[in-house]
Amino acid sequence: MSIELLLALITGAALLGVGIYGALSQTNLVMIMMGVELILAGAMVNLVAFWRYLHPDNPAGQMFVLIIMTVMAIEMAVGFGVAIARFRAKGSVEMEEATELKG
Amino acid sequence: MSMIAVAILAPLSTTLLILLLRRQPAALAVLGAAVGLLGSLGLLANAFNGLSQKIILPGLPNMPLQLVATPLTALLSTLVAVVTTLVVVYAVGYMKKDREQARFFATMLLFVSAMQTLVLAGDWVLLLTAWEVIGLSSYLLIGFWYQRPGVSSAATRAFLTTRSADLGLYIAAFILIANTGTSDIATTLNAGGNTAIAAGLLLLLAAMGKSAQTPFTDWLQRAMAGPTPVSALLHSATLVAAGAILLIRTAPMLPSEVLLVTGLVGGITTIVAGLIALGERDLKRLTAASTSSQYGLMLIAVGAGIPLAALLHLIAHAAIKSSLFLGAGVFQHSRNSTLLTDLQGVGRDRPRVFFGYALAALALAGIPPMSGFFSKDAIIAASLLSPNVALLAPLALAGTLLTGAYMARALRILWRGEAKPSVTAGLGWMGAGMGGLVTLAVVLGIAFPSIKTLLNAQLPENPIYQYLPEILGLAAALSGLALGWLVPMRRLLGPLLPWSQRGFAIAGGFDRLMVQPAFALARACEKLERGLYAAVLAVGRSGLNIGRAVRRNDEQGIDGIIFSFVRATINLGSKARTLQSGLIHRELAISTVASAILVFTVIALLVY
Repeated sequence: MSIELLLALITGAALLGVGIYGALSQTNLVMIMMGVELILAGAMVNLVAFWRYLHPDNPAGQMFVLIIMTVMAIEMAVGFGVAIARFRAKGSVEMEEATELKG
Repeated sequence: MSMIAVAILAPLSTTLLILLLRRQPAALAVLGAAVGLLGSLGLLANAFNGLSQKIILPGLPNMPLQLVATPLTALLSTLVAVVTTLVVVYAVGYMKKDREQARFFATMLLFVSAMQTLVLAGDWVLLLTAWEVIGLSSYLLIGFWYQRPGVSSAATRAFLTTRSADLGLYIAAFILIANTGTSDIATTLNAGGNTAIAAGLLLLLAAMGKSAQTPFTDWLQRAMAGPTPVSALLHSATLVAAGAILLIRTAPMLPSEVLLVTGLVGGITTIVAGLIALGERDLKRLTAASTSSQYGLMLIAVGAGIPLAALLHLIAHAAIKSSLFLGAGVFQHSRNSTLLTDLQGVGRDRPRVFFGYALAALALAGIPPMSGFFSKDAIIAASLLSPNVALLAPLALAGTLLTGAYMARALRILWRGEAKPSVTAGLGWMGAGMGGLVTLAVVLGIAFPSIKTLLNAQLPENPIYQYLPEILGLAAALSGLALGWLVPMRRLLGPLLPWSQRGFAIAGGFDRLMVQPAFALARACEKLERGLYAAVLAVGRSGLNIGRAVRRNDEQGIDGIIFSFVRATINLGSKARTLQSGLIHRELAISTVASAILVFTVIALLVY
């Protein structure tokens, strides 16, 4: 295994760890979503690294990453939509206050 | 249209009309009876012209229903129609105050149409049918005042007695049909030998029941509970006459053994019923007993082998007896009672009615020149000519004597006493009906010669001395009248008095012989019934218990299991619900930890 791949995997893992920490530690919906973005970013770095260093001649890896980026954009749009609606209704996007979905 | 149809259908359609319209029943009834009378007279006129009519209706296979108008049946049909018409006219007055006239007249005319069918029937099936309808309608009429005490039991007794005797007619008809292969009455009369003996005896039984011969006399007297016009009709031309008519029609078939029995039954009846009549305390019951006695005389004539004499007496008796009953009905309305003690002197209230009554009574006793004289002498002549003259002639003469005695006694009681004038509604109608019948009772003797030519039969003359029967009969009648008028009844009857007043214990004997076993049978049946009832109930109860057990099983077993599943599911759900806190961080943390555990588990599984 080449050193570059190892570096890329470490970067991805770091991004994942930061993302998980962010998602778990923040109480603001926007910040949580940023954490989720970081998790996905970590995953994408891993995908790209595996494609680049192990199967550079198969374009499916690249395509997969592009699809994930599209999904991320859509997810952001939906997430911010929810956040704006929440803000308009309650004047806050603090998730500790949003327990209406309790079973 | 055939005259036979008119004679039968006119009364029948009047019945239906009365029941449908429920208005003016009396007028309709008179009209219907009159039309029926016209039909019968047409039949009689045809018979005199030598025409005989016949209607054949579809019936059982090879046994068509037949209605025939021979001279004999046409004559009887006319008799029925004449008496009916006059009685119905009388009933218009008699029933004036009754609220249920429609029911009364409708049943009366049903009765009459059934009687016409019986008289004109040419085959056994139709005859049996008509016989049954007569029994039914007489039951309805005797029980007409069913609210009054004792009336319904009298009607039931009449019905059951005649019905039991009717079994004889059924069996006789079956025997005859089985042995001759046809239901045509005229053909079956040719049967001979043992068939004729068996059938003849059974027919005699049926006739005894209907004509109230000993020992079946009791029901007729109790039947006096019905309205008086009913009694008049019942006794003269319809129900009671049916028995005698049956014997007269089947007389050609009867062998000598049966004839002897018939004559003896008639003779015994005429004496027993005559004694009962002599001891009676009630005018209508007296008249009823007299009816039995007179039909006994007719049976003597049949038994002597000369049914023509019986027929003549039947005709004369029809007019006489209905006159007597109609008179009794007027007296009953005057004093509201039929007890002889209450009726003392009632003749003075209504002298004209009493005159008619007396004429009829004398005619019944057999005083010339009234109809009863001729018919009774015909019977005495017949008994003198019979091979069993020693048995029958004294009985016939004694019957005549008793007739005179009880009629004289009745007349004496009705005349002696004080008048109590009273007003009776409908006297005009009653007088009209009664007047017609009394006239017939007096003058009918004139018609006897033409009846003889019509039937083409003659009474044989007495070989010893031509006028012997007349002399004997007149002597018996006169001495009877004298005895009845002059000697008090108690002295006349002497030791027989208590017996005659109890109807010679015939009813009691019947109670012990027939009624008590019947009741015992009924009780046994009731016990059986109760057992069956209990068994059925037990079956039902066990079914109910099974059902209850099944229900308990359902409710507590199957339902219990299902409900416990449901409860467990609900509990599980409520426990699972506590996971859903709504706190995103907590859920994210749970997801993260769970994912981590999952990933490590997968890796561990893959590696090892």
